[in-house]
Amino acid sequence: MEYWNVGKRTRNKIAFLPIIPFFHCSILPIFLFLILAGMAQAADHLLYLEAQGIAGYSSELKKGIFYSQNPDAEMQKPSLGFDYIKRFSGESGDVATFALQGRLALVVNAEKGDRVKLEPQAYNAYLKVKTPGPYVWIGHNRPAFGLSSYFDSHGLLLRTLAIEGFGYDRDWGVGLYRDFSWGDISASATTGSGMPVYFKDNYMTAGRVSYWVLSKDNMNLGFSLGYGNTLDTMGYKLRDPEPRQMTLAGLDFTFLRNNFEHRFDLLAGKWLGEKTYALFYRFGVNLDQEGRFKIEAQPSYWRLGEERNYQQSFCFSFLATSNLTVRLAYFYDRNEKDNRVVLQLYYYRPVSWLSKLAEKLKKGEGN
Amino acid sequence: MKNPKYKFKGKREMQTLRKKLIHSKFCNSQSAICVGAFLALLLVLTGYTAALGAVGCDLNDPDRDVARLFPESTGYKTHYVSIDRKGGEPLLARIETKLGDKFHGIYETIDVPYTIYEIFANKKKIGYIHGVNQKGQFGGIQVFVSLDLEGRIKAFYIQKMTSKYAGKLRDANFGRQFLGLTLKDFDLYDVISGKASGKVEAIKNPAPEAEADFRASLRATKKNLILMDEFVFSTP
Repeated sequence: MEYWNVGKRTRNKIAFLPIIPFFHCSILPIFLFLILAGMAQAADHLLYLEAQGIAGYSSELKKGIFYSQNPDAEMQKPSLGFDYIKRFSGESGDVATFALQGRLALVVNAEKGDRVKLEPQAYNAYLKVKTPGPYVWIGHNRPAFGLSSYFDSHGLLLRTLAIEGFGYDRDWGVGLYRDFSWGDISASATTGSGMPVYFKDNYMTAGRVSYWVLSKDNMNLGFSLGYGNTLDTMGYKLRDPEPRQMTLAGLDFTFLRNNFEHRFDLLAGKWLGEKTYALFYRFGVNLDQEGRFKIEAQPSYWRLGEERNYQQSFCFSFLATSNLTVRLAYFYDRNEKDNRVVLQLYYYRPVSWLSKLAEKLKKGEGN
Repeated sequence: MKNPKYKFKGKREMQTLRKKLIHSKFCNSQSAICVGAFLALLLVLTGYTAALGAVGCDLNDPDRDVARLFPESTGYKTHYVSIDRKGGEPLLARIETKLGDKFHGIYETIDVPYTIYEIFANKKKIGYIHGVNQKGQFGGIQVFVSLDLEGRIKAFYIQKMTSKYAGKLRDANFGRQFLGLTLKDFDLYDVISGKASGKVEAIKNPAPEAEADFRASLRATKKNLILMDEFVFSTP
């Protein structure tokens, strides 16, 4: 059953909560509301506009494509979206943060006669509350497993293991984390469904402990454990309605030195009921002092049950302006025998010009 | 998944195929229009970008960092300010004059949202923490200062710096050289030539091999203090 079948039940189990279709239907009104809120000149929130164009060529399909990975996967497609963050404060400090990140993506399915549909998507959608102990979040956020638990890929072309399908980049549920001088600890209990929400006895629990602070020590080593019964989803598509066992251990490491970036992610155990291991390494070089030009290379290898695969990708990024990034990536997939080239124009800017416009209009009225 | 292949068997199949082809043609033109419209919108948006914008400079782990930079604090409030919204082009011109250099590059645009942390001890405000992005030797660096209510530096903190000499510039001994300095002291520092007099001249570079990052740190500190002066201390 797919996400738009609101309220339908499968074997007496709730297939879907109405909350997501509500978001789907209201993504544009929400954006317009946030723009109006942004006009209020308040200093407690940020609103960004995000837009991206994607075009590429797949040797397997022998045609042009308008997505980076798969038409069903959430990343990346031509889209318009927003990124909103609001802080709530009391008399003596911040008490909570609300984050909402949404997109309206254009899906051009090259595998089905270039059928076109619009797909609203929700990435960050959570409330994070400060407690005397850890931060606690509820909503759609990153599960506490592996590199993806702190490395944001939602605008990038290169894929982490979670985006590749080993885990979820975002999942619905609750989580907590606490920073220490030596590192941090995080944990999450989520639905194990990724972008959509399903209740079919599926769940995912995860925990991660990391040593070193990336922003202070230029390195971070993390160890993760995950357990649950998770669903096989790709983007908003449910590929198998039966939840499958997850028992995973993971090790991730990030190391930054001079203009070089190294990121490793390794996981092993059972994923979707199959014996699994996956390995990923991303090497990046910043080519100039501002970080405008960057080259990245990424080999990844995995085994899921009897299936083994190897992928190699390269990406060249160029910050044309502080708002516009151009990325050109090459992907090779051994199993699909696919050579793919993808060009991305990624635009991201604060929506402050609207508040200026509102101010001008206000002044005009005053005069 | 491969594209479906059609076999021609009769009139009915031909009609079905025609429908599919018409649908496919429609979808292709529809997708082309959608993508074209999207790219046009993107170009319009890009063209609009006379005033560039970027992502600001936040503390990565504010709880941990605020407690370290202000041990007596019990909480903090986060505020976002931009030159664009605070005063626009006239404010930018004033800031550039004070800095003695033009704002340029991807980190110094008029609509960058700056994050200011107001620090509290219970309900009493005791100071501020503010950071800025700055071009360094190996990509961007992020320089934070914590200030008391009069604008004196209480702590100096480099958050992001990937140089192999970052450890020396992040060392407490280097940071201590900034304590008690104010914008008046940094007025005597020329960010272009790197020449200084007064208290700033006394700041020693702990890693001569990282001269570019050392000078970037001083420029970032001066920029930071100017912005705080405009955003907070000069505001009635």
